[in-house]
Amino acid sequence: MRVQIALGAVFLAAAIPKIADPPAFAHMIYNYRLLPGVLVNALALVMPWVEFVVGLALVAGVWKREAALVAAALLVVFLGAIGWNLIRGHAIDCGCFDVRSAGKSPEQLLSDMKWVLLRDVGLLLLAAQILAATSPHFSARRMRA
Amino acid sequence: MAPATKVGRVAVILVLAAAGAAISNLAASTSRKLAWVGSYPRALEVGPAAPESAVRADVTNAIPTAPAEAREAPAAAPSSASPSTGSPAAVEPDLARSFPPHPDKAAVEIGPADVELLYRRKMLFLDARRSAVYSDGHIAGARSFPVWESDIEARVKGLFEEGLDQRAPVVIYCSGGNCEDSNMLAEKLYMVGFDNVLIYKEGFPDWQKRGLPVSRGANP
Repeated sequence: MRVQIALGAVFLAAAIPKIADPPAFAHMIYNYRLLPGVLVNALALVMPWVEFVVGLALVAGVWKREAALVAAALLVVFLGAIGWNLIRGHAIDCGCFDVRSAGKSPEQLLSDMKWVLLRDVGLLLLAAQILAATSPHFSARRMRA
Repeated sequence: MAPATKVGRVAVILVLAAAGAAISNLAASTSRKLAWVGSYPRALEVGPAAPESAVRADVTNAIPTAPAEAREAPAAAPSSASPSTGSPAAVEPDLARSFPPHPDKAAVEIGPADVELLYRRKMLFLDARRSAVYSDGHIAGARSFPVWESDIEARVKGLFEEGLDQRAPVVIYCSGGNCEDSNMLAEKLYMVGFDNVLIYKEGFPDWQKRGLPVSRGANP
């Protein structure tokens, strides 16, 4: 199915730059100012690999329901993290696909963060679509209809 | 599918990811490696400036500058930045007066004119940016102390063991703007007893803009 390949490709594209440079991604996570310092590095090391495995599973069509579930959980965390910083006016690079700071102004960053929120909502809808399509209850209902 | 299978598969995904992370971190080079347990005491504080750093206006104009030939002479008074002697050298009195140690806070921010003065007086300069960025160009003579890389504690320990005068000015810079790498490095130096860390807030972009000496490569 195309949706899962698209979502999987997005996760792979997001994972690779982070896997290539964990310290840079740790810096990004640190900038969010949401996580106790002791956990920053562990998350910077593991999260990109979760994205990678999920992306691979979605693209390959293996365990797509579980992969979509983890993808949705990640997206909810991203939405919360970006959203909270937007609410408190803390301008940050999202570090979603590029782990190097682009040196943008706080105003530019805050405006970018709104687009990131929108994008993540879109991706969350894709994940929801995969979950719905793979739901045993959903297909049963559809068959009855 | 049974819920147990689903939970099991999610767990397998997470375990695979953790294994991938562990293996790739083991295989990573020093500059890409990351300690599993982070050490960022201010990770939950929002705001660009670390509270224990203070900003100070340029003092350059207040300092009676030594004649240029005396400064440039190789046999000028010993500088605290020279690690060769092994024993702490005294800071020249005018510098000590203008840049007094500040044991109550990790760092003080200084302006470009003071930075230039301290550079001409051959004080120690440390570059807090990533080692790859350092190699692309850094303040000539500045040493690489990439605060986000895994060997930073070893580098700080090494600096401590050189037995420098910890009351002598040490200038730290990163890439200007809101970069906090300098503040993070300053705190690490403060923890090992450096009492006169000065932050060049405008950082390397400003240095380049002013056309001051730049070196490339992995060495100072």
